[in-house]
Amino acid sequence: MTNKSDSADKAILMAAFAKMDAVALGVAVGSTWALMLLLATAILLLKGAPQGESIGSHLNLLGIYLPGYRVSWGGGMLGAVYVWFLGAVTGFVLALLWNLTHYLYVVMIVVRSAWWRLMAE
Amino acid sequence: MSNNAFLEPGGDEPAQLNERLLRAAVKLNTLLLAGVFGSVSGLAMFVLTYLSLYRGLPQPGQYLNLLGVFLPGYSVSHTGAWIGLFWGALIGALLAAMFYRIYARSIPAQVLEYLHSGGSRDDLMGVTLRFDGNYLGLALGAIIAGGLLITTSWLVFRGTANESMHAYLLAQYLPGYSVTIPGGLLGAIELFCVVYMLCQLFSWIYNAVARFRGRKPR
Repeated sequence: MTNKSDSADKAILMAAFAKMDAVALGVAVGSTWALMLLLATAILLLKGAPQGESIGSHLNLLGIYLPGYRVSWGGGMLGAVYVWFLGAVTGFVLALLWNLTHYLYVVMIVVRSAWWRLMAE
Repeated sequence: MSNNAFLEPGGDEPAQLNERLLRAAVKLNTLLLAGVFGSVSGLAMFVLTYLSLYRGLPQPGQYLNLLGVFLPGYSVSHTGAWIGLFWGALIGALLAAMFYRIYARSIPAQVLEYLHSGGSRDDLMGVTLRFDGNYLGLALGAIIAGGLLITTSWLVFRGTANESMHAYLLAQYLPGYSVTIPGGLLGAIELFCVVYMLCQLFSWIYNAVARFRGRKPR
C-alpha cells in the first residue's frame, strides 16, 4: 500500500512539475493565432460590406501593429504570417517562464532544506 | 469509491490520491501561472499603449481608449500606460488563476494515466506536459465566454448599450449577438463553442509537436 501511495504521490508531482515544450507551445500558439486571423479576415471578405461601406474598416486597424495587413486575401495571408511569428514568440516565452518559475521554486526548496539541515548540525 | 481512488495496474486494491499534496500542487501552479500571466499581460498593455502613442497616428489611441470603459482610469497616455500595466497584470493574474483552477481538474486523470503506464519514470523534472483539449477548452471557453457576458452586461447596466457600436461588430462573427442580456448570452454560448474547438486544435498541435520532439534523440 505504501508503494502505491508513493507512486501516486510521485505521479501528482510529475503532473504538477511537468515542463512545457517551448517549441511545441510556440508552434501551437502561432498556428492557432494565424488561423484565427485568417478566419476573421475570410469571414469579412465572404460576407462582404453593405453598399457604400468598405470591408473590415475596423479589422484593417490591425495594420497599425502589423504593417501591410489589410482585409484582403493577400493581406490575410501576410497577417497570418505576422501573427504566427508573434504567437510563436509569445508561446515560447510563456513556456520558458513557466519552466523557469518551476525550476526556481525547486531550487529554492532545495536550498532552504540544505540551509536548515546545516543549521541543525 | 471516491473520485480520487483508483486501481493501479496489476493491483486489486484502490490507491488513494494524497488530497493534501494534490491541493498544494494545484495551489503552487495557480500562483505561478497567475504570476507569469499577470506579468505578461500587464507588460503587453504597457507596450501596446506606448506603441499606439508613438506610431505617429493623427489620433493616437482612438480605439484603444475605449478600454477605459472597462478599466477605470485607463487612457492612451503616459499615466494611462502605467494604469494599463496595473489592470493588465491584475486581470491577467485573476484570469490565469481561474483558468488553472478549472484545468487542474484534469490532474487526477493524468495521474491515473501515469500509473496505468506502469509509472516507471524516476526523473520528476524530465516529464513533458501534455494538454487535455477537453479541460483546456472547458477552462478557456468558460473564462472567455464569461468575459463577454460580463462586459456586455456592464455596457447594458451603465446605459451605453446603444452607443456601443464597436461591440455590435462582434455580430459579424457571432450571429445573433447584440449588446443586450439575451444577445450577450447567445454570443457567450457561441464564443464558448468556438474557443472549445480552437482549444482542441491547439492541444492537438502542441501534443503532436511535443511527441515528435520527444522521439528525437537529444
